[in-house]
Amino acid sequence: MKLITRLLRKNTSSSRIAGFILSNFLGLLIIVGGLQFYEDARSLWTSDDSFINNDILVVNKVVSTANAWDSSASAFTKEEIEQLKEQPWVREVGDFTSADYRIWASVAQGGRGMSTMLFFEAVPDRFVDAAGSDWTFDERSGDVPIIISKDYLALYNFGFAGSAGLPQMSENILSGIPLKLTLTSDDGRRMSDFTGHVVGLSNRLNTILVPESFMKWSNQQLGSGAESAPSRLIIDVSSPGDVAIKEYLESNNLEVAGDKSNSSASYLLNVVAAIVLAIGIVITVLSFFILLLSMSLLMEKNRDKLHSLLMLGCPLSEVSAPYVRIVVWATALAYVLAAVGGMVLRQYYIGALRGLGAATGGWWLGLTVGFVLSVIMMAVNVAAVRSKVIKSWR
Amino acid sequence: MQIDTIRFTGMLPRVFISESIPVSDVWRSDLTFRRGEYYRVEAASGGGKSSMCAYIFGSRIDYEGTLRFNDTDVATLPIDKWQELRRRNLAYLPQELSLFPELTAMQNIVLKNSLTNHVEIGRIEEWLHELGIDSRRDYPVGRMSIGQQQRVGIIRSLCQPFDFILLDEPVSHLDEENNRKAARMIMDEASRQGAGIIATSVGNHLLIEESITLKL
Repeated sequence: MKLITRLLRKNTSSSRIAGFILSNFLGLLIIVGGLQFYEDARSLWTSDDSFINNDILVVNKVVSTANAWDSSASAFTKEEIEQLKEQPWVREVGDFTSADYRIWASVAQGGRGMSTMLFFEAVPDRFVDAAGSDWTFDERSGDVPIIISKDYLALYNFGFAGSAGLPQMSENILSGIPLKLTLTSDDGRRMSDFTGHVVGLSNRLNTILVPESFMKWSNQQLGSGAESAPSRLIIDVSSPGDVAIKEYLESNNLEVAGDKSNSSASYLLNVVAAIVLAIGIVITVLSFFILLLSMSLLMEKNRDKLHSLLMLGCPLSEVSAPYVRIVVWATALAYVLAAVGGMVLRQYYIGALRGLGAATGGWWLGLTVGFVLSVIMMAVNVAAVRSKVIKSWR
Repeated sequence: MQIDTIRFTGMLPRVFISESIPVSDVWRSDLTFRRGEYYRVEAASGGGKSSMCAYIFGSRIDYEGTLRFNDTDVATLPIDKWQELRRRNLAYLPQELSLFPELTAMQNIVLKNSLTNHVEIGRIEEWLHELGIDSRRDYPVGRMSIGQQQRVGIIRSLCQPFDFILLDEPVSHLDEENNRKAARMIMDEASRQGAGIIATSVGNHLLIEESITLKL
């Protein structure tokens, strides 16, 4: 070891450094592991939807026994829509437009045919995310893109297919099957054929959605021309978690469709994650102070030597180096241990989470946050060492 | 940079401000130390000679007045510049020596020399022999007598290039023979580099020849 290092490392307390490494490791492990688990488990409660972003709510009036037969009672009046638009948390409101004609869909698969009546709805295109080039209708091709609710596929697979002796379908298979659509006007005089194909499944839209342009065009061609008030609205809100939204919806007897993100389980997960994170951060901050104080104490004990070395003309960087090395190595070691520990922890719970159907994959968030924290702690401690050296200069 | 002159203008340690001090060649005067000249600064204890050395070396700033290297006010020098000056331009043997007691005589000297690469190990051995402490080269300095430690300190202070060498009571614990040898050694190094010597004492003077004597 260099003479300078040997002189300046005297009085180094390995138990204090070990204490820092252990506590910093624990703090970082809680942060890394907690964030990792949160990311991995989150999908159990909040399923991200690629078609509708999370700021969008679909609301309808609660159907009660009193209004069960009166469809106009569940429709929104112009005044109600205006009132909704005036709420501070509303960015934009769009109508659900229903098809004003009858739809008959049939599938021919492996020699067996199947047909059913259907309904279509449309919302303004700007509410549909990731619609891209698939989400357009061209009347010459006669091709209609459709987004259906994931629940429908589940109902078919687990409720219907088994009892009817039909094969189960995956999302991929479903989107590969062409649907023959026959659209008939209410009076039965006009008729049109189209090919529909499912371009996606949504968790948050409980409907069968077609592009707005197709809906306008087909209603013009086949509809009776009668105007109908919308019974469902799609709302772009500024903050989906806002309590004011919940209160407003409750007091106006409205409910949100397909809403899982605000469920109490998800809320609980958020609260628990926040508590765990807070504990991890507190321990990490305390460990940071352990290192800061140990280095400060060590340098204080060696202050005369520091001063003498500076009197000999030692460059400041050379005098700081032995302490900077302790800081860098100890912090890096604690982080590496925590990262490895986090990965090991993940192996223990990942199987169980996958069994529950979670879309796992958030391992990098915890590691990144831990890394950033470690770098900050390292930088502050190195700066503290430098300033302490400068202070012992005179 | 080469320091040709060290100039004191109206310099006074702050502790002396409210006191009436006797007439001094250094304090409250205009004094210039020149490179190549040898100076003996004599003072009674408490006269501020250690302060004077520390001011020149930059380790203390509790003074009034202005201290210049050539035309540069030393108050404007940044720390990194001071560190460079301490390796290349200013050699200093403080009164308390500032040796590391747990290191051996040789290690103390080599520690300084490793910062400057100024002297061959063989030369250091010769100096240790000349001052009669070659048998102590691998002894921890903490177990040596003050006189022996002073000799180690003198050799260490020569392990760098310098324009001025500041020696604060360097021979207070040396006998006349060792004093003479040390003075010879310092003068040889100083004259080889064209450097100035500033040596202080309260009684036992470093035996350098042709020196200018200043009363503090």
